Amino acid sequence: MKYEVASVGEIEKGSCKILKIEGRSIGVYFDGENYHAIRNVCPHEQAELCKGKFTGTTLTSKPHEYIYGMEGEILVCPWHGWEFDVKTGLSLADPDRYRVKVYDVSVEDKKIMVHI
Amino acid sequence: MEITTKKSRTSLKHGVIDCDFHQTLKSFADLKPYLPRVWWPRLSEPEATLPITIYKPVPLSRRDAAPGNGLPPGSDPEYAKVDALDRYNITKAVLTGSLLTVSAHNNPDYAAAVASAFNDYTFDHWLPTDDRWLASILIATQDPILAAKEIDRLGKHPRAVQVICTVSSREPFGQRRFYPIYEACVRNNLVLALHGGGEGDGINPPISAVGTPTTNFERHNILAIHHMSQLNSIVCEGVFERFPTLKVIFVEGGLAWVPHLMWRMDKNFLGMRKEVPWLKKKPSEYIIEHCRFTTQPIEEPNNEELVQMFRMMRAEKTVMFATDYPHWDNDTPTFVLHKLPEDLRSRVAYENAAELYQLKSRQLVKEGEFE
Repeated sequence: MKYEVASVGEIEKGSCKILKIEGRSIGVYFDGENYHAIRNVCPHEQAELCKGKFTGTTLTSKPHEYIYGMEGEILVCPWHGWEFDVKTGLSLADPDRYRVKVYDVSVEDKKIMVHI
Repeated sequence: MEITTKKSRTSLKHGVIDCDFHQTLKSFADLKPYLPRVWWPRLSEPEATLPITIYKPVPLSRRDAAPGNGLPPGSDPEYAKVDALDRYNITKAVLTGSLLTVSAHNNPDYAAAVASAFNDYTFDHWLPTDDRWLASILIATQDPILAAKEIDRLGKHPRAVQVICTVSSREPFGQRRFYPIYEACVRNNLVLALHGGGEGDGINPPISAVGTPTTNFERHNILAIHHMSQLNSIVCEGVFERFPTLKVIFVEGGLAWVPHLMWRMDKNFLGMRKEVPWLKKKPSEYIIEHCRFTTQPIEEPNNEELVQMFRMMRAEKTVMFATDYPHWDNDTPTFVLHKLPEDLRSRVAYENAAELYQLKSRQLVKEGEFE
């Protein structure tokens, strides 16, 4: 099923619109290029994940080396700081164990559609 | 002198490796042949040889382990062999020495010279007396460059298996200024042993993080806080990413703190990974792969809880037996190993240590003794 969630231009770059689809709370985030639909529940303690910060992070490096990247691709839970990749929903620290559900998004006729 | 001992019976296939056996000097004067003349006055001046702060109501060394003739316990290898190795079927004992608290001394050159002299004494007076002795190289950590030189000086000796220093220090061991020590350990294929002691002494920070406790009882209850601090620092700062073959053992801190720290580190890593982007796996995975913990002074809850605790810390990989002979709070193999279920007993008594110290490839076990 496809659900219309917003019109193009309604969600500003770097921001997230939270809405309910079929009873599920979902955040639709615009990174400036693409839209991402993310389940608004952290898999850890069920905080409202999409009220957290969309940002970048430190990439894998050598000890005491700091490489900042993935700007706009990371969602940080407002409770315990768990980081998720907005594209895949995978936890950065433990991707084999934790992920948040992400949904396909399409833009049709200037409407943003989330596929459930 | 004639001594009689009753041998204890154990079901252990390979016997026991004791990972903490304290040999010591007969007197500080034993160091003189190995110590530059400039430092000799410090060997006889009260309070000058080693910095010590806290009164011990039970003396450090067991009175009954004294070899006689007024000599201190642990100072006569022939006596110690019968009194400890033969009595408990100890196959190998890693000599962890004494004077470890030189690392708390205010003078880094004196400290390094004492460590070197003590090592020479051990290599000359202990190693030749029995094949069962394995050696630690004592270092003073004030100056890591000097420590690395000492490791290189003795590190290729066939029976040197590890480097040892106190777990207490002025700065956390994960910091980069200690890299010369880790480089030298790796270069010489030696384990690094961090042994309790020196907390609050000399130049070191206080015994507890909130200051100095009044009694040795209070101190001894929280011995492991320094072990915890160092393990935490070494893992978080990425020492095992920088030195992937380094192994670090934590001696005389007991065990029960290890599951606590592993869980807490793994939990916090999920939220604060971005501060340590060099960690490529969970902190507990580095600990299980790179760190080992010796049993003494073992916690003594009821046995069911003790075994649960062993399981929680993956003792089949991480725990190694230690007596701490001849110190007052030592544990015997019979007391500790008989608490353990069959599947853990041999791992803890012998196999974990034999693997860590690479006894087979070092040709320190007889043919067929350890497959």
